[in-house]
Amino acid sequence: MAKDKETVSSKPVGPKGPHGNAGPKPEKAKHFWKTVRRLASYMSAYIWGIIIVLILAILASIFQVMTPKVLGQATTEIYKGFMTGVAQQKAGIQVDQFPIDFEAIKRIIFVVFLMYMASALFSFIQQFVMTRVSQRTVYKLRRDLKSKMRRLPISYYDQHSNGDIMSRAINDMDNIAGTLQQSITQVVTSTVTFVGVLWMMFSISWKLTLIALATIPLSLIVVGLVAPSSQKFFARQQKSLGLLNNQVEENYAGHVVVKSFNHEKDAIAKFDAENEILYKASWKAQMISGIIMPLMTLINNLGYVLIAMFGGIQVANGGIALGNIQAFLQYMNQFSQPITQLANLANTIQATVASAERIFEVIDEPEMNDDPVDIPDIQTDDKVILDHMDFGYEGKPLLMQDYNLNVKPGEMIAIVGPTGAGKTTVINLLERFYEVKGGSIKLDGRDIRNMTRDDVRSHYAMVLQDTWLFTGTIYDNLKYSNQDASHEEIIAAAKAAHVDSFVRQLPDGYDTVLNEEASNISQGQRQLITIARAFVADPEILILDEATSSVDTRTEVHIQHAMQRLLKNRTSFVVAHRLSTIRDADKIIVMNEGSIVETGNHDELMAKDGFYADLYNSQFAGNVAM
Amino acid sequence: MFKIVRGRLNIWQVAGSILFMIVQVIASLYLPNITSDIVNNGIAKGETGYIINAGMKMIFVSVLTVLASVGNVFLASQASQGLGQRLRSDLFRKVLYFSHDEFDAFDTSSLTTRTTNDVMQIQNVIVMMLRMMIMAPIMLIGASFMAYQKNGPMTKIFLIVIPALIIVVGGVMYFAVPLFKAMQKKTDRLNLIFREGLTGVRVIRAFRQDTFEQNRFKDANDDYTNNAIKVYTIVAMMVPFVTLIMSGTNIGITWLGAHYIANQTMQVGNLIAFMTYAMQILMSFMILSLIFVLIPRASASAARIQEVFAKESQIDTVAKPAKIKQGEASLEFDDVNFRYLGAEKLALTNINFKMDKGQTLAIIGGTGSGKTTLINLIPRFYDSETGTVMINGTDVKALNTEDINRQVSMVPQKAVLFKGTIRSNMLYGKDDATDDEIWHALEIAQADGFVKDLEKQLDAPVEQGGDNFSGGQKQRLAIARALVKDASIYVFDDSFSALDFKTDLNLRTALKADEKIKDSVVVIVGQRISTVADADEILVIDDGNMVGLGTHDELKENNKTYQEIIESQIREGNDG
Repeated sequence: MAKDKETVSSKPVGPKGPHGNAGPKPEKAKHFWKTVRRLASYMSAYIWGIIIVLILAILASIFQVMTPKVLGQATTEIYKGFMTGVAQQKAGIQVDQFPIDFEAIKRIIFVVFLMYMASALFSFIQQFVMTRVSQRTVYKLRRDLKSKMRRLPISYYDQHSNGDIMSRAINDMDNIAGTLQQSITQVVTSTVTFVGVLWMMFSISWKLTLIALATIPLSLIVVGLVAPSSQKFFARQQKSLGLLNNQVEENYAGHVVVKSFNHEKDAIAKFDAENEILYKASWKAQMISGIIMPLMTLINNLGYVLIAMFGGIQVANGGIALGNIQAFLQYMNQFSQPITQLANLANTIQATVASAERIFEVIDEPEMNDDPVDIPDIQTDDKVILDHMDFGYEGKPLLMQDYNLNVKPGEMIAIVGPTGAGKTTVINLLERFYEVKGGSIKLDGRDIRNMTRDDVRSHYAMVLQDTWLFTGTIYDNLKYSNQDASHEEIIAAAKAAHVDSFVRQLPDGYDTVLNEEASNISQGQRQLITIARAFVADPEILILDEATSSVDTRTEVHIQHAMQRLLKNRTSFVVAHRLSTIRDADKIIVMNEGSIVETGNHDELMAKDGFYADLYNSQFAGNVAM
Repeated sequence: MFKIVRGRLNIWQVAGSILFMIVQVIASLYLPNITSDIVNNGIAKGETGYIINAGMKMIFVSVLTVLASVGNVFLASQASQGLGQRLRSDLFRKVLYFSHDEFDAFDTSSLTTRTTNDVMQIQNVIVMMLRMMIMAPIMLIGASFMAYQKNGPMTKIFLIVIPALIIVVGGVMYFAVPLFKAMQKKTDRLNLIFREGLTGVRVIRAFRQDTFEQNRFKDANDDYTNNAIKVYTIVAMMVPFVTLIMSGTNIGITWLGAHYIANQTMQVGNLIAFMTYAMQILMSFMILSLIFVLIPRASASAARIQEVFAKESQIDTVAKPAKIKQGEASLEFDDVNFRYLGAEKLALTNINFKMDKGQTLAIIGGTGSGKTTLINLIPRFYDSETGTVMINGTDVKALNTEDINRQVSMVPQKAVLFKGTIRSNMLYGKDDATDDEIWHALEIAQADGFVKDLEKQLDAPVEQGGDNFSGGQKQRLAIARALVKDASIYVFDDSFSALDFKTDLNLRTALKADEKIKDSVVVIVGQRISTVADADEILVIDDGNMVGLGTHDELKENNKTYQEIIESQIREGNDG
């Protein structure tokens, strides 16, 4: 009967604001019902579990609704005995003990106890089942998303930020898990409770029920007036918090610059201004969301008092049993709860469906095309042939048109050009990360679109500037390029790539687990591991990006040695930065602004006196004396 | 926690909010009392007038409760958010005035988290405290007292109920907390694998390891899901159990109450009131148990914040700073030794050189050899251990950093731009620079071309961190920004390596020709021989030691390290 529910209901207000009414407006789904049906199909395997849960939820709510009235009967019994006793006393009869019917009370209490037990048991079973349903459903969603990722073309990865995909894989998944676990049953319980409570109230007294109902418009007014302005302030707080975070990040990241330009005061002034805005928005948001509860309590209390007054008068007149009033007062409290709960649920469910939609959006992306092309195999000694090839990125003008190149086994092809010239495009095409727009790329005389991608890639190994290694041991990372490699092969590769010596100095040797930030080994050492990994693959064709990242001189020498060894007796494509590589190359592909501008060997290109000659001269103009 | 709160929390607001809260508690404790009076004196005796009177009293008390709680919320929100504001502001100031030594002790993202999220945690806990947690014990005592007054003997029911509640809540926490911690790790692992699948997509596909990745993810997904099911099953027990205990309490009270009433030791209305007090007591207990969850979390945040405040500045401020000489630009290192805070080994040993106006010093050496360390001594980011660093003939230790920074213009290794426009970034070092000056600097930096291509040119927006520009463009803008500033010494820390050879050359040629630069000292840190070759002096550094100083031709002849560097960059033939 406690009316002051504020103590229980005010949730901690996190930086994102509370869920539901007081929080920011949820994102809306575009195809609500379609997405709901699709999400439901993920749960269809658990349909019986869900049906049981729903039945139990209905039963539990019915019991929950009935108990106050049944327990009220006990109060009525007590009151009856008490009144009889008082009457007897008034009549002058000596009464030691009021004639309360303890047997009846025992019966009532027993029934109530059973109902409570059943209600508790049912609600536990509901949670028990729903936990499994929701976790398994999200498990499947996650699995499908991950397996989708393998079928998406590289262009998808290039066009979408990792942050965006991650937020779908994490935040949106979490949203769904949370909602499935809580909200489905809550919708049912809230609805049943609302209907049930209303029913019980009517069954006690229709007059009192009307009084109770009269308070609903009042609560609607409060919710309608206060909630939007609270949302407004929360949105303002969120925005200001975001701006402030950016300022902090920016100034901390640029600490050196801020200091060396004497800009501390300026930065602080800007920060203080934003901080003040945040303060104003956040205390108001806090305040307004904080007063919703007390206001609702007040309205509830008004109803409560009215019921107590009218009900009291009726009891006094004998029109209604005291236990019923007691029960009715409890119903008053239960009555407003499902309304606010349902309002909150509407928002949560909206947000969840929007989350599901974002995940399905990825799952529905077009996949890689595996259709073979009608280009016959040819007999040739050439390893790789670029045959009248056209290429351009989706929706952009062609970068390469009618390009031809024949690569003999064992040849080294250097790719050169200024920063941002698009040197990786060639790698993208060779590895079939992107498909040509016209013409053909042939490997051993066969168009690569007539081979599986795995087949194409089995001929290649890559060493890129981006030294991607997965979080696992060094040994497993070396084995990554060829899971069938023997222990001896791996150690031999590690030795050839100068990896063995530094790995042996690590406390855990080859079992050292590389972490994501790679703080336990240096950048140069990571590069060496990627070279060793390519050794383990033992490919026919090698793709190498020899950009000198920031490494110390000794490691640099090691990297060069290792690369030289790796290149020996293999066909190779090298994104070249070193003079020696360029000069040694059998052919040089010169790129600028995404397109191939010249092709030929060093001498031919120098003789041409074009872009390459210009690039070459500028590179060494500062120190011709060398 | 108290340390960081003290002096930043408005005591009057706190006191006020607690006062309001006490009013609120008393009022809500008084309500059930009126209810029981209505039953005892109104309903039981059939006195309609009494009921209406009491009802009015109830409405009055309800309104009072609401007013008090609005007052409480009003003050509590201001106090908590105000605390957050002051904490953030103090942290930001403290961090901005950090010297490098202090800044190095944390990393950027950790400092950012401390300034934002950790403060948010504290703020939230304070608001919870002011609104609920302090209320719980008051409510608990008040309700117990009231319950005892209504019926003393019946309070013994709490001797059973409260321990039962503690066992249930404690038990659930005991089992669930370790699982929650494990879950955090498993979530991290799941996210990690998914993210690696994104960042490494090319390598994964090139090596045909898609299946391997799928399996790796499946294992993590299995592991996570099983653990999650376990955790939530345990947590699922809590609500039904707690509800059962509360309902059981009601039943118990009814049963015992019936006997007391029969014995005429209790009035009917008091039974109803007692039930209300019982619920208030149990609720207070539940809220108190929240403290055990929230306080550790908040105190972890508080400790992290306190760590920042506790860092003392290593650079001594100069009591009577000397005036830096204008006009005669020079830079001298006289036998400088330097050691990082707490390090055993010297990071720089015996650095000696003197550069006069119009001269360029280039510094070359491998990664970790001490190039950046050396130039960080120029603007007093760190102080030398022995020896002196002199700018325009004055020891930097006699100058305050603000004056030094006026004479030194730096381009750090990592190009950092600030949100705003190109112009606002260019004015960073000289508020009153004209557009002509800016364009001139952009020309030298080889940035005029792409800036002219932008629709709004100098007013083109720059996003946070300059993310709307490529790495090379950012670097060139950072160089231009440093050139706009009037200084005696211009320092380029490896700023040219992101540029291609041709741009690098054009930039250096333009730099040499500039009038302003002719009057100052230029320091270029580089990795490429071509970048440093035409400097007046080249300082070769290896493992913190100055192993050579001279021109390109001299060093090429007789310096082993320099020769090695040449060898590693321009190799004729092969030696595979």
